Amino acid sequence: MNTSPHSYVTGLTCSGCGKKYSANEIHTFCPDCQSTLLVQYDLEAAKQHIDRDEVSRRSKGMWRWHEILPVIEAKNQVSLGEGDTALLPLDNLGREHNLRHLYVKEESSNPTGSFKARGLSAAVSKAKELGIKKVIIPTAGNAGGAMASYAARAGMQSMIYMPKDTPRANIEESRIVGAEVILIDGLISDAAGLAGIKAREEGWFDVSTFKEPYRTEGKKIMGYELAEQFGWELPEVIIYPTGGGTGLVGMWKAFQEMETLGWLKNNKRPRMVSVQAAGCAPVPRAFHKKAAFCDFWTNAATVASGLRVPKSFADHLILNSLYDSHGTAVAVEDEALMQAQKELAMAEGIFAAPEGAATFAALKELIAQKWVDPDERIVLFNTGSGLKYLDRT
Amino acid sequence: MGSNILYIEDNPDNMMLVKRALESHGYTLLEAEDGLSGVEAAEAHEVDLILLDINLPDIDGYEVARRLRASERHNLTYVPIIAITANALKGDAEKALSAGCDVYMSKPINIRELWARVEAFVPAPEPKTK
Repeated sequence: MNTSPHSYVTGLTCSGCGKKYSANEIHTFCPDCQSTLLVQYDLEAAKQHIDRDEVSRRSKGMWRWHEILPVIEAKNQVSLGEGDTALLPLDNLGREHNLRHLYVKEESSNPTGSFKARGLSAAVSKAKELGIKKVIIPTAGNAGGAMASYAARAGMQSMIYMPKDTPRANIEESRIVGAEVILIDGLISDAAGLAGIKAREEGWFDVSTFKEPYRTEGKKIMGYELAEQFGWELPEVIIYPTGGGTGLVGMWKAFQEMETLGWLKNNKRPRMVSVQAAGCAPVPRAFHKKAAFCDFWTNAATVASGLRVPKSFADHLILNSLYDSHGTAVAVEDEALMQAQKELAMAEGIFAAPEGAATFAALKELIAQKWVDPDERIVLFNTGSGLKYLDRT
Repeated sequence: MGSNILYIEDNPDNMMLVKRALESHGYTLLEAEDGLSGVEAAEAHEVDLILLDINLPDIDGYEVARRLRASERHNLTYVPIIAITANALKGDAEKALSAGCDVYMSKPINIRELWARVEAFVPAPEPKTK
């Protein structure tokens, strides 16, 4: 008889003070030190019961990794077919830049056209399991559409605060699935403040980046998929566009989990590269000062709306993953990322989101600095579809 | 150098959280629950750093910062001011910095970051022993 549980989740731990919380109750962030809560699993038990190769044979999608996701009962999983995105070789650009193993993880094929689907699938599913009926989110764009879609599928009410100059596709995709959209004269940081007030006043559950524990869990599956796609090895370099940073932090957590599970052929982790726009680059500025936290970026401005995040709530976790991995942080000008978008499209047929294209612009800088080696396996992350930004291109 | 920190904040929950966090590192916290009493407290006591909420019930934090910087009490023209806000309005950070604050932090206040920010200006004394 198979006694393996649907999930090996054991609880939540504060990333700041280490205090533990139950995963069977509603939590946001640590009330004592106001740091992000991270989900913990009984990985030793999981190691005994989960066969990595059996997981590979399951039907495709993010939820085939359910044992290391936080939802306890399968009936609470809210899915639109997210995950298992392609890892595409970029042979043409690789040849042009003398890189023999250049890839893109193509996240635009997720539901709602961006990687945000992963985190919001996990967060809305866990919210459903915990009995939450209405969810609220501040967003720079794609997270709003994703949350609204998953909330609709789960039968929940949704409310979204977004800057009034957010790409139109994000506004319309949110409205069509029934979300109440509030456009504000400000940035995501301003939206976060207003959404937080609304949440407290009216009892909405706030699924802001890192202010609830579960979006990171959906995003971490990108790390599991990468390992699987590379034959249970990890690439040498991951270049990732960073707004809130859940993907970067999530993948770093995934690598740690896979080491404990014994799933990797070796435990050499990638060097993580955080990419931001020069007009809003708190992470590169903090990284190059070797700081533990980012200073709030004033007068943030970039065409890449997803990168217009003046300060992430979990900036210290982002920076730690860069320091621990011997990685780096790169700021690219808007002109460079728009040029990179054209080159990716012309050379490889990939119409990337500006945020995704920024990773290729950053790669060119890293090549010039000789920070990458021609024989290394390098993975760019295209986090969304360029089609969602037609009013920007 | 002393270790007196003035926190101007009308929310008792935030006040308690910060008080507990800073006193655990040995700092002495002076409290003011609105802008005018905050300015008064700053002028009446030796303060080494000011934590300043922006959304106050009387004058806002920007005005508090401007009054402190224009104070006849010389040390208030340069005492470090950390603005702490719920950043619910556009350009809070920019306005706080131009009003004379040195650092801007948004709520929720990450306590580890608060310790780091405070310590960058005022070295932590020995924690109080029980």
